[in-house]
Amino acid sequence: MRAHRFKQLAILLAIAALPAAAQSQSARHGTRDGVAVKATPLARSAVLSFYLARGFSAEAIAPYADACALSFEVQNNTKKPLRLRLADWRTGGAAGSISFRLPESWEDEWTRRGVAGPARIAFRWAQFQSELEFAPGDWIMGMATLARRPDGAFRLTIPYTLDKRKHEITLDRLACAAAD
Amino acid sequence: MTAVPGTPGAPPLALPDIDGKTLDLSTLRGRLVLVNFWATWCPPCRREFPSLSRLQRLFKPAELAVLAVNVGEDAETIFSFAGASDVTILLDRDSAAMRRWPVKGLPSTFVVDRKGRLALRAVGGREFDDAAIVAQLRGLLRL
Repeated sequence: MRAHRFKQLAILLAIAALPAAAQSQSARHGTRDGVAVKATPLARSAVLSFYLARGFSAEAIAPYADACALSFEVQNNTKKPLRLRLADWRTGGAAGSISFRLPESWEDEWTRRGVAGPARIAFRWAQFQSELEFAPGDWIMGMATLARRPDGAFRLTIPYTLDKRKHEITLDRLACAAAD
Repeated sequence: MTAVPGTPGAPPLALPDIDGKTLDLSTLRGRLVLVNFWATWCPPCRREFPSLSRLQRLFKPAELAVLAVNVGEDAETIFSFAGASDVTILLDRDSAAMRRWPVKGLPSTFVVDRKGRLALRAVGGREFDDAAIVAQLRGLLRL
């Protein structure tokens, strides 16, 4: 029970750490059999301020800030190992099928743009990682960007494997943060 | 925290502390060592950080050492957040040490047993002085 309260407090703290512009966006939650997902659209200003403080130049981080960026939180409240791959996540609905741009692709871009080491370290570990395995009780947060901005609201399907069985969680009516 | 299958040997870890003095994990053999990878910009890391000091105070130094390995930040940034702490803060400026550990995200925490093996792990924030975690550590001390 205490661990659960701690998670709730940590989530509130994480949200409070984001600038007001990011908090105004609508988060979406999904749960299934003890697996919980939360997605929060991130405002461009929030993304910029975070990465500028980590050593990026405004010019270097611009393509990431201009993308549709979301913060994800995934909790494994089951008693089984949970696996997921960001490459499997897709939008649906009127937006069509859009995948996520993986962190490795962004890191290639930072190499091309000559982004310095400390900024790249912060970037790497602030992302939702491409492949994750969660033990029971684990939870993790991270940012991710869609490969292109959808027009309007979209549905996001998140497949995962729980104890070798495939499942998915769908988040409806997600939207990218409005440009600011 | 979750048991690490097969209890493999802990990867090497030798890093400077906030005063520039190098600490090598291998010199702590015979004690439990809790290794926490963190950064000041990571909200769950900030939230759990005080519980690392509280955990350290529940054990004798000869029983448990808590190492908080900061990833990618400078001493000034770390000190402005952590101040005077009961845990040993190590600086992994280029994240080279962390890359040798099975870290999947921040915060990630491992417990190295008295024989130098990875015994427990946790991904995501915890309250480390929680009774269940303290009991797990006391159990490892009895092995």
